[in-house]
Amino acid sequence: MRAWSVFAAELQKLSALPAVWTGAAVAVLGAGALTLLNAVGVRDALLAGRPEDSGYGSAFDTAFASMPIGTVGAVVIGVVAMSSEFTANSPDAGGGRQIGTTLVAVPRRVGVLVAKAAAVVLLVLATAAVAIPASVTLAEAIIGDAATSTVPADEAVRRCLGAALYWTLTALLALAVTVFTRSGVVPLLVLVVNSSLVSVSLLLTMLTPVAHWLPDMAGRRLFGDVDTVAGGLAAGPGALVMTGWALALLVVAGAVFSRRDA
Amino acid sequence: MRAVGLPPVVAAELDKLRTLPVTVLAVVGTVVVGALIAAAQAGAAADQDLPTSAVDVTLRTVPFVVAGLVLVGVLAVSQEHAGRQVATTLAAVPRRGLLVAGKSIAAAAVVALAAISTLGACVAAAAVTQRLLDAPASTDGAGAGALLGAAAYLVLIGVFSHAVALLVRHLVPALVGVLALVLVVSPLLAGATEHARWLPDRAAAAWFDAGPGALDGPTATLVALTWVVAVGGLGSWRFLVRDA
Repeated sequence: MRAWSVFAAELQKLSALPAVWTGAAVAVLGAGALTLLNAVGVRDALLAGRPEDSGYGSAFDTAFASMPIGTVGAVVIGVVAMSSEFTANSPDAGGGRQIGTTLVAVPRRVGVLVAKAAAVVLLVLATAAVAIPASVTLAEAIIGDAATSTVPADEAVRRCLGAALYWTLTALLALAVTVFTRSGVVPLLVLVVNSSLVSVSLLLTMLTPVAHWLPDMAGRRLFGDVDTVAGGLAAGPGALVMTGWALALLVVAGAVFSRRDA
Repeated sequence: MRAVGLPPVVAAELDKLRTLPVTVLAVVGTVVVGALIAAAQAGAAADQDLPTSAVDVTLRTVPFVVAGLVLVGVLAVSQEHAGRQVATTLAAVPRRGLLVAGKSIAAAAVVALAAISTLGACVAAAAVTQRLLDAPASTDGAGAGALLGAAAYLVLIGVFSHAVALLVRHLVPALVGVLALVLVVSPLLAGATEHARWLPDRAAAAWFDAGPGALDGPTATLVALTWVVAVGGLGSWRFLVRDA
């Protein structure tokens, strides 16, 4: 019962943060808008008989090309969940930090972190549950019969779940890293850069194959085999490695959060 | 009472930025990360025996350092709104138009400093790495013109971030907005539609990387500057008329 109320409190705090809604909006509206633009271009290319210009033959692949923007939304949710605790209020309102109040209410720090992680997981999954089906439906509606190929239903479901898992794990990594830094600037910068096409991890894979075991590189096949970079882990082992990273970092974050002055 | 001129306002804004630890960290961090990435790219090229020049390596490093410039550009405005510093600032300089002008000049100066030192560090790191690894050098790559274009691109992105920060005031939305635009939306759109070349970063990138489908020189400059002026104008107007 007690754990449940801590979780409910964290969920309430998160859903009261404008930045969390912005992160969710970035994922839902960003993915939708990019899919819209992409799908119109793909449909025109396919109808004009130039499939080589379209990049994708199926509506599903077209929708999935816009999934990286959802990772940005997940990063924002994960980072803000923690950094909002450490942001000082306006001096007009006392200049305090929320973390003090939180720890007075729930002195067991590990419990706070677990509840926060659970709330982040729930919010990111809810965002994914809206963003991914909406983008796929939009692409299907626009491309329709012009598609030259289809993705089988079981593969589609697997890739949707994979993308939701990737977003969730990224948000948890963001949460853990923000426990270390307290300020949200560095994790936002690093994780948004790394979820883009100019990812530093991607660059490192050119120098050493070990970089394929970094969390974001390990998990990238969860989106499907559309990536241009060869090598690296397959979807299943990659998901395990990425989950391992997220759990390990959360455990370290729990230890740091418990032992350090707030 | 004597009216304050522009130079002291710029000097005050530069002072505020200089004494902000995060500015120094952002500039130094961008320079160091840029140099490391340039060295890594030069090393990777040497491994594969690809002849390349230090300038080419630097141009390939630009997309990796642009995030640092975004942070530097955002700080001048976001630090004012992080606490109540903006109230003190406005008490000292009540003329808001003058304040926005001074702040923008100071932000542009710091961004330019960061851009030039980062590119310099990248060229130096790439050249040293190539020398150490006895890498095959190429002499027919891009020249100083492209390097200048890259510096202009980085400055433009930094100033654009400053303009966005004026509009949205706070660090997180400005940072995430510009980073998502430059690093995620713009490459994804470029793969989907040729209209992506009208985005501010794509237009400015034509200054150093005139790929197929890029806008030609004068148009690119016009489009990039129009973006900065439009967003900056909107942000300044908001700063002038809204409660601080």
